[in-house]
Amino acid sequence: MAGHGHSHAIDHDGPEVYLQFEDIDQQQESYVLGMWAFLVTEVMFFGALFFIYFLYRLKYQSDFHILSEHLNWKLGGVNTFVLLLSSFSMAMAVHFAQKNKKAWQLGALTVTLLCAFGFLVIKYFEYSEKISGGLVPNDQFKFHYHYAANADVARMFYSLYFVMTGLHGVHVIIGILCIGTLMGLIIKKHSLITDYIPTEMVGLYWHFVDLVWIFLYPLFYLIPK
Amino acid sequence: MAHSNDHKHGNGHEHHITSQGKLASTFLFLAIMMAATIGAAKFMPEPFHSKTIPMNIIAIAIAFVKAWAVVAVFMGVRYTTKLVRLYAIGGFVWFFLLFIMMADYGTRQWEPVRGWENVDASSLPRDPKRVEGLEDAKSRHEMVSPGASTPGEDHAAEGGH
Repeated sequence: MAGHGHSHAIDHDGPEVYLQFEDIDQQQESYVLGMWAFLVTEVMFFGALFFIYFLYRLKYQSDFHILSEHLNWKLGGVNTFVLLLSSFSMAMAVHFAQKNKKAWQLGALTVTLLCAFGFLVIKYFEYSEKISGGLVPNDQFKFHYHYAANADVARMFYSLYFVMTGLHGVHVIIGILCIGTLMGLIIKKHSLITDYIPTEMVGLYWHFVDLVWIFLYPLFYLIPK
Repeated sequence: MAHSNDHKHGNGHEHHITSQGKLASTFLFLAIMMAATIGAAKFMPEPFHSKTIPMNIIAIAIAFVKAWAVVAVFMGVRYTTKLVRLYAIGGFVWFFLLFIMMADYGTRQWEPVRGWENVDASSLPRDPKRVEGLEDAKSRHEMVSPGASTPGEDHAAEGGH
């Protein structure tokens, strides 16, 4: 029997401890460590883009400020709140998974999923406004010089904007697929879900997605003079 | 052995369950910090609002505080093992080390590298011909300045002169 005299966050049946691990703690730590190793690669992925952004913003601070004023900071703010809420509900889902409260866990995951979809809907409205305004930096780029910013800098700004927020959006979609899959496995009582670890791993990914947006929002929408 | 009947903890570590109250208070903190970010950027009174460096420092500092709250509490790094903490912190240390590359970009004006001259950004040429992929500067002028009724309104067409 698992859990005698210990405050383990595991199911009464207990997950299987595989041959290469000393005990359940080491096994669970290795899963979390593996997820963090993947997240470090994601830091590298986004880190390079943040560096490029930093480089051009340092060089063209005033132009970036002018261009950022044409982004909808209110919609961006709503998106930020929605993602923070989704991060909170994801953390609650992990908490309920550790307490083995499946119904509450599924409820929290549903809230996370709804927030993720809400983020994408708001992003859709933002993008469609920019695409119809000719602000995609291709050969149809319709940059109006009365914005008083340099056209080349505007192209760079919008390139960075679409690449970084678009890549973030792709990560949100992947997160939706992961959360949906996790919910399906929990509902079907699949043998893969023996404890809270799968939920924690999906949660780590989702918190990272939120973390990236926490930096993206002020860097694009709230640039000071 | 497939199943462990031995409940000896690896390294004496017990898994921490973050309480609902802690999670809720962290969320509230994050929401307040988000409001502070927007407030600092959009509603700061004028003497401070125009000061670039302090405003940038405030924005980045708030973002880092929010990131710390997410990583430490929501992601559980505060309560996890030292090895996991090493990976987590190591990843972000790598990100900061990436900015060592600024040594390259920051010193390019020490040599005459074309395109990296130390000029004021507002004096950049606005010659449409410099933009890649556009063969007809005149058509671009017509395309991008529908609102300009006189040549003087369109700084780009004049090439920044």
